[in-house]
Amino acid sequence: MDVPAGPTAPSPPIAPLWRRPLARRTALAAGAAGAAGLALAALWRSGDLTHALEHVQDLTHGDSQPFTSQRVKVAHLLRRAGFGATAAELDRYAAMGASAATAAVLAYQTTSNAALEAQLPAVDPTGLARGAASASKLQSWWLQRMVGTARPLEEKMTLFWHGLLTSGLDKAGPGQLYVQNQLFRTHALGNFDDLLKAVSKDPAMMVYLDTETNRVGRPNENYARELMELFTTGIGHYTEDDVRESARAFTGWTLGRGNVRASLQSTFKPRLHDPGVKTFMGRSGAFNGDDIVDVLVPLRATAERLCTRLFTFFAYPNPERAIVQHLADTFQQKRYNVGAVVKEILGMDAFYAPKAYRAMPKSPAEYVAQMIRGLGHSGPAGLPAAAAALAQMGQVLFYPPNVAGWPGASSWINSSALLTRLNFANSVAGLASTGAAGKTLDQMLATFVDSNVTASTRSGLEQLASTHGNDPSTLLYFVLATPEYQLN
Amino acid sequence: MFTRRDFLRQGLLPVFSGSSVPAVFANGVYAAAADSPNAARSDRILVLVQLAGGNDGLNTVIPFQDGAYHDARPTIRQETGVLPLSPTLGLHPNLKFLKQSFDQGRLAIVQGVGYPNPNLSHFASMAIWESASVRGGIGEGWLGRYLAYLDQVGESPNHALEGVSAGPLVAPELRSSAPVTTLTSLRAFQLQPVGEHGTAVDAENPLMRFYGAFKANAPAPYGALLDTTLQEALRASHALQATDRSYQAKATYPAQSPIASSLKLVAETIVSGQGVRVAHVTLGGFDNHAREKAVHDRLLQDLDQALSAFMQDLQGQGVADRVLVMTWSEFGRRVNENGSAGTDHGTAAPMFLLGAPASGGLYGETPSLQSLDNGNLKFTTDFRSVYATVLQDYLQAPASDLLGGNFETLPLLKT
Repeated sequence: MDVPAGPTAPSPPIAPLWRRPLARRTALAAGAAGAAGLALAALWRSGDLTHALEHVQDLTHGDSQPFTSQRVKVAHLLRRAGFGATAAELDRYAAMGASAATAAVLAYQTTSNAALEAQLPAVDPTGLARGAASASKLQSWWLQRMVGTARPLEEKMTLFWHGLLTSGLDKAGPGQLYVQNQLFRTHALGNFDDLLKAVSKDPAMMVYLDTETNRVGRPNENYARELMELFTTGIGHYTEDDVRESARAFTGWTLGRGNVRASLQSTFKPRLHDPGVKTFMGRSGAFNGDDIVDVLVPLRATAERLCTRLFTFFAYPNPERAIVQHLADTFQQKRYNVGAVVKEILGMDAFYAPKAYRAMPKSPAEYVAQMIRGLGHSGPAGLPAAAAALAQMGQVLFYPPNVAGWPGASSWINSSALLTRLNFANSVAGLASTGAAGKTLDQMLATFVDSNVTASTRSGLEQLASTHGNDPSTLLYFVLATPEYQLN
Repeated sequence: MFTRRDFLRQGLLPVFSGSSVPAVFANGVYAAAADSPNAARSDRILVLVQLAGGNDGLNTVIPFQDGAYHDARPTIRQETGVLPLSPTLGLHPNLKFLKQSFDQGRLAIVQGVGYPNPNLSHFASMAIWESASVRGGIGEGWLGRYLAYLDQVGESPNHALEGVSAGPLVAPELRSSAPVTTLTSLRAFQLQPVGEHGTAVDAENPLMRFYGAFKANAPAPYGALLDTTLQEALRASHALQATDRSYQAKATYPAQSPIASSLKLVAETIVSGQGVRVAHVTLGGFDNHAREKAVHDRLLQDLDQALSAFMQDLQGQGVADRVLVMTWSEFGRRVNENGSAGTDHGTAAPMFLLGAPASGGLYGETPSLQSLDNGNLKFTTDFRSVYATVLQDYLQAPASDLLGGNFETLPLLKT
């Protein structure tokens, strides 16, 4: 492996320098010990600090008016509706202005992703065996999409759905999770009822929540319960009888008789379906699973819960009542179209309110993908190590901690995760070309932190720049290690 | 300035929400506690093992003589090899180390543990156990409150490693106004040097300055959280780096076992001598709605072997007499198996208290398989009684203040 002589050795901006981290990083990650294993062990954690945060009405911000330019606005937009941007992308979007940039981000179907698709390694879901190698392959593949996509919102929505309509490698097969991931991409901004009907028959979900075992005379409650508790209305809007009855309605779909975790296609077998009358939420009929979805999706509780979740994902936690009502109205008037809701959110003044600025920590996926993307890398090199680091920060892609997804918010900030973040920035800064981010402090600050850091941090960075002016990677590390960069 | 406690007080993480303002924080109480001449208590360590997803208690402590058990579970019942604890009850065949510990008087088993009006949601029920409040709710965990209490009475000298959570997220029952350290590896738990080719640059001081300035100027709550987290991480890291790093496991931990790796990490942290008081590890995968038997058999074997190595290691390190292990799960499972050879969400289940401090034996009333509530067991011991016992008799902390109520204690411990 060729190793350039010094930290500032000139280099082509992409592969060689970025590939170099692999060996060293992999070693460090291995030192980071049982790393993936322990991260994978963090199953079944609830995280209701998220809820605590959601109850905070007024966050006090030092920034009374952070959105000082179109460039800062589009940087915020691309952090929230995507995975960050290079300096060149920021320039391009800023020149369009925030509203045109928002329109472009939303209308991603008109944007070609051919350059990314050409770079991506081929994934054959039928050829993915269970195990760490397939997990790493899938994680790197997705991370590469986040880093290289020309359709940032499509990837961001895919992550949103993965965190809401969860399935994981602890039960489902890797090929199934690949298929599910593509399903989320297809339905990214589609109608919620269509997505739920598809997910109800999706092989990964059928294994993860046991619908593949659910058949007439032998109902299994798992999917029916989580569909209501987590995916639609939330707790308090259904009874234990509703759980039991709707479980019967979801019978009939099967993954066949072979290895259910390898099956990529579900089929409906009438003889496995319970054709009897079910009583669900006060109605009676010979319901099937689609009928249950058609009862749940129009409920106001579903609209409010999904819209709250979307707004929190994109803007800030604990949205005002009026915002939730407006979004829920939109959702119901637009036939449960998620794209219409997201369009509303990104177009609201609230999206650019001071309280929205840096209102939450970057999730590990956002942190890692934004850093790599911001530095102008787009190839697959280094991504397996990056995906492993992401796991150390608490987010194993395709392996959410439990069916409720990642608790997010403040749970991302803890001692071990923060040290991992800082060390990841260290290795990336030490090994990446700073070309795309610029070599001067001002350029780095503009690309990564909106040129908005505290006066004390700026003078500290200027000091470092004067003493380490010949070492842009050290300077880049300190920029990426700022508290400002930890937030989104 | 903004401390973590301020952060909590802003309502982000309500400390002792509701009416029960804890007397713990009243001078009299903690002064009294601090005066109690109990040097040993500061050496006592509680290790929590969470069996996440809802462990099937009936297939863990098995009423193998009860025909109703066999009738309810035609495919997942344990028919042979049950390890007898009494004429009617036995441990799952894979819990060999736990059986041995029981025979040696080092395993207390509390039967039928639950709470009134059981909640069958994983998340609601976990929140109930984690907060020790049947309203569930948010805020500090019950052991987080214990850590805050230690802080108040001046028993957190290191202010770093009293609470340890294995993995990259803080276990909710440890959530606290006091520091809690998450660990995935002791070796990785440090800031890597900055600068290449021997031109090491001091990173800590600039970062402390940046984070401190951000806290002072910028968005609550994260400015405060980032700053306190960085300070605590560096403090814990320094403490760990300064310790004797010569830990050698005195047992062979199973390979390819996340729970074993977590317990080994806890052992290493205990041996480092940095004053660990509570540690948390998780074994997940217990939500066995389908094809339960193979999965559950393997999980219990994994648990048993990991605990065996851990206890042997602690013994070899000379610290076993001051470590108590306690298992919990958010609920047990339905008495009747479902049509998928699995079990749906249930209610009461046993808890294990393992180690030299435990007073071995079976405690509590065996739940009836005849008198059920919607197909679920009726609990016979409130989990908060177990918590109260551990807090009061083992950790010697003011249990009723920390739990927000008085709960009967049980004779589960040698004291």
